[in-house]
Amino acid sequence: MVEKKISLKKKRHFRYRPIRFLMLLGAFLLIAITPYLNSKLHFNFVQGWFQSLSIGKLWFVSPLEGLESILTSRLLYGPLLVGMAIPVIIALFLGRVFCSWICPISFLSELIDRIILKIKGKRYRKDANPLPRSLIWYALIGEILLALVIGAPIFVFLSPPGLVGREIMVATIFHTLAIEGVVVIMVLLMHLFQKRFFCKYLCPLGGLLALLGIKRRLVIQKEEELCVSCGTCKRACPFTLDPEKGQALSPYCWNCGECIDSCKTGALNFKWKSL
Amino acid sequence: MKSKSRKNKGRRQFIKEILAGSVGLLSFRYKKASAITSPVTTNRLRPPGAVSERIFPSKCIRCGRCVEVCPYNCIVPLDIKEGIYAGTPLIYVEDIPCYLCMKCVEVCPTGTLQPIKQNETRMGLAVIDKHACKTWNEELALCRTCYNVCPFKETAIKLDQLRPVVIEEYCTGCGLCTHGCPVVTKDGKKAINIEPIYSQGPVKW
Repeated sequence: MVEKKISLKKKRHFRYRPIRFLMLLGAFLLIAITPYLNSKLHFNFVQGWFQSLSIGKLWFVSPLEGLESILTSRLLYGPLLVGMAIPVIIALFLGRVFCSWICPISFLSELIDRIILKIKGKRYRKDANPLPRSLIWYALIGEILLALVIGAPIFVFLSPPGLVGREIMVATIFHTLAIEGVVVIMVLLMHLFQKRFFCKYLCPLGGLLALLGIKRRLVIQKEEELCVSCGTCKRACPFTLDPEKGQALSPYCWNCGECIDSCKTGALNFKWKSL
Repeated sequence: MKSKSRKNKGRRQFIKEILAGSVGLLSFRYKKASAITSPVTTNRLRPPGAVSERIFPSKCIRCGRCVEVCPYNCIVPLDIKEGIYAGTPLIYVEDIPCYLCMKCVEVCPTGTLQPIKQNETRMGLAVIDKHACKTWNEELALCRTCYNVCPFKETAIKLDQLRPVVIEEYCTGCGLCTHGCPVVTKDGKKAINIEPIYSQGPVKW
């Protein structure tokens, strides 16, 4: 028994959580610094934020924003499609990883979580699932329909991942804050009341990425022999998914790796699905 | 009697304002701009290379990269009071004009600002208010600030007996003249203003 424990400990020395947090921090710092670099130092190598980001000649455009622009204006524009390609390909292969590894809202939520857990001295936040998860699809459809009715992609303007970047930019350049930043505060308040409430049920961008990632190649798989059904993974999951019951294979999983870190027996791991 | 009717008018106006305010969620009343009328008016211009105002709000994804890249900070993102135009870029030429550096055009990811040459930019047309212009009124015949600051001197603006004349064919509408003009009229305009006459142009499909 002792020997087995040691071998298991060896097996789980690698943890995704610090790496992911570093990546979230890095992504947040990137969008926090770029407005200053651009407007004050006129250094335009890195430009924009998570609505549209350019690193040198490499351009990214958020797929939801691009899709709505195409749908509402009914015009195709080559560079826009090229910019959308990389995020779409990432979502197709890796799933909703933008949300869990890059999104600034994720960073802020995680920061709040870390502070709360430090104060409370607990390991996991209690959580429930008051609404059906499928709400996120309706959020996506609703957003696109609203954009088509209004005739402008106005609600991507209020989409929190981009909004954080824009608020930072407005603060750096114009030394004020725009009113729409209230949305970010509301999202974070919702997070206090329920773990990742907005991300889980309401984020249209998350909905689109989840939709693209339904048949993703990178999944979290459980090894039946090692699982002891302790339920830790469910408590660790920011979405309250239950990897024990195979819910990590559902479209709602965003591949953050929290359950892998939490698993004491090493039963869960990332796996590259081959066709 | 006259004063009473005026009072009534004021009340009516007040009631109208209140009604409009209560519909506020749909139409954010903010000065004259409303949720569905374009913010592009005199001296309020889109950045260079902008597509027609008919599809501008639908094509622009409000990513704000043009705002970020502008070295003069002349491009301002509109706030949420502008309704469906919220987040779109606008230049207030009398505050900071466009210096035609063409950086914003290069970074736009959606093609809302289309690639265009500096001298082919048509943000609007400078129109001289001959009643307000000191030189045209022969009050202060030596002022030719608009002529001096124009980046396309002798092409887009010429002097006709020391009075400035805009050559419509070549004016880019950058607003440097408006910015420089020392005359401010009663309605807050200058003696030379940029009229966005090209903003409602046909859509190139």
